Amino acid sequence: MRKESGPAGTCPDIDFTPYPIEEPGQSRLRLFQALITLLPAALAIPLFLCAGPIYALLALSVAAVSFMVAGYYIGRIARANEQKCKLDLQLIQSQKLAAIGELSSGIAHEINNPLAIIGQEVEWMKHLMKEGGCGSNTPVGGMSEFNESLIEIGRQVDRCREITHKLLDFARKKEPLIQAVDMNRLIEDMAKLVEKEARQRNVLIERNYQADLPLVRTDPPLLRQVVLNLLNNANWAIEDRGVITISTMRAGKNAVEFMVSDTGCGIPPENLDKIFDPFFTTKPPGKGTGLGLSICHGIISKLGGSISVDSEVGKGTTFTVHLPAETTKGKN
Amino acid sequence: MSEFRVLIVDDEIDFLETLVKRLKKRKLDAVGVASGEKALDILDRERFDVVILDVRMPGLDGIETLKEIKRRTPLTEVIMLTGHASVESGMQGMQLGAFDYVIKPAGIDDLIEKLNQARERKLLHEERIRSGRNVP
Repeated sequence: MRKESGPAGTCPDIDFTPYPIEEPGQSRLRLFQALITLLPAALAIPLFLCAGPIYALLALSVAAVSFMVAGYYIGRIARANEQKCKLDLQLIQSQKLAAIGELSSGIAHEINNPLAIIGQEVEWMKHLMKEGGCGSNTPVGGMSEFNESLIEIGRQVDRCREITHKLLDFARKKEPLIQAVDMNRLIEDMAKLVEKEARQRNVLIERNYQADLPLVRTDPPLLRQVVLNLLNNANWAIEDRGVITISTMRAGKNAVEFMVSDTGCGIPPENLDKIFDPFFTTKPPGKGTGLGLSICHGIISKLGGSISVDSEVGKGTTFTVHLPAETTKGKN
Repeated sequence: MSEFRVLIVDDEIDFLETLVKRLKKRKLDAVGVASGEKALDILDRERFDVVILDVRMPGLDGIETLKEIKRRTPLTEVIMLTGHASVESGMQGMQLGAFDYVIKPAGIDDLIEKLNQARERKLLHEERIRSGRNVP
């Protein structure tokens, strides 16, 4: 199973570029029509000379019939194609709406939980004030319980703020700052960071770096964020004992690629389409916002690259990131 | 070009003093402070290009300090330096806009290269703002 997701991707930019609608191939069909018409028509002359006018007439009528039949079917094909284009557009539109719906219900859900807690705390504080008596300024139980509620409210507000900041993070139209980067080194730095935690869980990291990799012109902190995220995901995909393989390689003349593979649990096919969507997560509530991979996708798109995933349940997952080695806008 | 000013924030005084000394030897204008609070204080008064920030500190920790630095002076680049590598705090740091996340012990040449890259980024950023290219 494979999911591609390139610069003209879907989420989280909610930038739906319709896949190219196929050329109906009308000209080729017209050529076919001409062929099956002209062939019997051309036969009419030798038939007239050799076998008489009746056969020639027969050939001409065959030509006429095939012209009409072919014309009829070409028309039908054209109409069907037109209909297909319309349906494709409708499909894109409904996918767009579905994604927006999912996104907003994700936000609502994430914000609702802290809101509910804040509401409860406010109720509790009101109760404490009331119990303390109308005239008095101190709530029952002294200030400590009151204070606890305030701290909890503050914590929940922080949680909400974090969510909105993360959202703003990929909504922000911040242009990357382009610098020359040795990708092997950048990746190795992040690998070292993950390695300590991986080793504790009996997860080995194998390196497969191509030595003479060209420098990449990219935004280093943004790329680090992606690498770290992918490595962390790979680490957690492996329950106990396994291998994470990191590879880098040239991809054609002007591009480099890096891959992060794990021997972990894999992603079921029904989830593979959604893993780059914001708020999609299989972790238990509170354990992950489901924004990691969508942020990665947003970053890689911004850097002019693409990210794809290959996975098989029970065998493991491979993420491949493709980046241009020379960017035209990179001068800065 | 004005001098390259680096602020180092670490509660391990020995480490702090050694690093300041070594960076000064390499002709960098390095200043050391021992806490996040002091870092914010001095950043309010003086200009620094890059901050090297310890992650684990008593009081205001590295992540909180990073947040505050990025809020007050978003163009200051911050390199997180940690003895206790934690992926969680690494991801948090990178997301909050740190330039890099480096595990102790880091070689001085390595560190200087990272400092130079961080400074280059700051200059690029300033140049972009001057030329008004940040406005879409």
